[in-house]
Amino acid sequence: MRALLATARGALQEAGANRAALSWQMAVMVVNDVVWIVFWALFFDRVGELNGWDLQGLILLNAVLTTAGGITLGLLADARRIGALVVEGGLDPVLALPVPTLPHLLVRRVMPTNLGDLAFGVTLFAVAGDPTPGRTAVFVLVTLTATVLLTAFLVLIGSLAFFVGRSETGEIGFHAMLLLAAYPADLFGGGARLLLYTVIPAAFVTTVPVRLVNDFDLADAALLLTVSGVAALAALATFQRGLRRYTSGAVWTQA
Amino acid sequence: MSAVVATVPADSRWRDLRAMAAALRTSAGQAWAERGSLAVALLFYVVVVSALSGVWRAAATNGGGSIAGYSAIALTWYIATSEAAVMSVSQRLIEDTGRDVADGEVAIEMLRPTSVLGLRVAAELGRSLVRLTGIIPVGLVLAVVVAGAPPRPAALVLAVPSLLLAVTTNVTAQHAFAGTAFWIRHVGAAWFLYLKLVFVLGGMLLPLEVLPDGVAAVARLLPFQAMAYAPARLAAGHLEPWLLLGQVAWLAVAVLVARAVFRAGERRLQETGG
Repeated sequence: MRALLATARGALQEAGANRAALSWQMAVMVVNDVVWIVFWALFFDRVGELNGWDLQGLILLNAVLTTAGGITLGLLADARRIGALVVEGGLDPVLALPVPTLPHLLVRRVMPTNLGDLAFGVTLFAVAGDPTPGRTAVFVLVTLTATVLLTAFLVLIGSLAFFVGRSETGEIGFHAMLLLAAYPADLFGGGARLLLYTVIPAAFVTTVPVRLVNDFDLADAALLLTVSGVAALAALATFQRGLRRYTSGAVWTQA
Repeated sequence: MSAVVATVPADSRWRDLRAMAAALRTSAGQAWAERGSLAVALLFYVVVVSALSGVWRAAATNGGGSIAGYSAIALTWYIATSEAAVMSVSQRLIEDTGRDVADGEVAIEMLRPTSVLGLRVAAELGRSLVRLTGIIPVGLVLAVVVAGAPPRPAALVLAVPSLLLAVTTNVTAQHAFAGTAFWIRHVGAAWFLYLKLVFVLGGMLLPLEVLPDGVAAVARLLPFQAMAYAPARLAAGHLEPWLLLGQVAWLAVAVLVARAVFRAGERRLQETGG
């Protein structure tokens, strides 16, 4: 555990080494996030309320998404690169280290750009999310749960590379998850909505957490925790099973 | 003697054009060979259009059948086309070009006896046109399946050349934007900002008619609407051929600006070293 903390600390220090670059990259991502809020503001200005969602709901949804996405893609940056690391032999140097492979992979690199998401999400909730003590506590809980689910999903689809080799599945899964999580599941019809609660569980990353912050329900909370827990276990099991198949992806062997 | 002087630029232009045509063919061939990436791009396009058009259809239904003069069907065709125009172009072109300038790749390309900008634009167009060729039939089928027949087929026919102009203008404008790397070295994540301008002021996410009047008026004066709004508006059933004229004008401006930026940038590299 000490080794993992030291690795995470080192990654953070490396990301912060160039303050000007860090600030610029974070600012760009904040602008990106603001554009989405502007889009939804314009949308609801025209539409009013839609299937129980309004601008306030979308602001909260974006706060959850950018915070969870900021932690996963910013602080656990290599979660998104598992598939590429597998096929390009990027695991070789990590396997030689006396640390658990997956946790080390997850904490060893920080993506400064996505720290802007994290800062934006927290600020958005603080400013526009009606942060009473109770809502704040639920927001923290559901955001961390959403982070676990998002990270697990990325690890799971990235680990498929152990079995199918070079594939674009991970990249499209990643983009599909983030894109679909940016919309409330209630805006979609039957088939698509079912997809968001199962194959690409984007509804559990944003829609369900937002519902819990607005109106806490023990059964929904238990369901969210269960889904995230199962996804985390499935991701870990798939990665470990895949790792046993991994011999070496050294680049020269692919020549 | 004067005849010789007069023929040299013509020869040079002809050589540049042949080199650009070859670059376009080569990159198109490479893009076609990478069918896995193409398939991913198409799948992602389907996911994006399904999600975004679904939201707009729900909104139109909720709003009594239309929004800002667009019916649910028109909005679906609008989104399918605006996304086709933007997703056919590499979204990180500014970042990649800027990095090549900063890393000295462009300095090496300057040794070739042909236009650096011309070759780069042609190569990127080759890749983009392959993606566009794949996306158009997928978009047509998707829009028909989820919404219905196009609101006005004649306008849809005009949307095809409009899409070509949108992609070409976007690629050229991105090169003009990326050319700032000759001076500030690292354009880094600036592509994000450019993309957001296309998303909102370019009308990719929503028709300009949905924007507040003042913002819409400004957006109509900017080049970004030529990159998404124009073909999408046509595909949504508005038979407005002058949108194509506007695109041609913006393409000419983008070409002139990109050439000026690259010429000045290349001169700077020659003077200060790459």
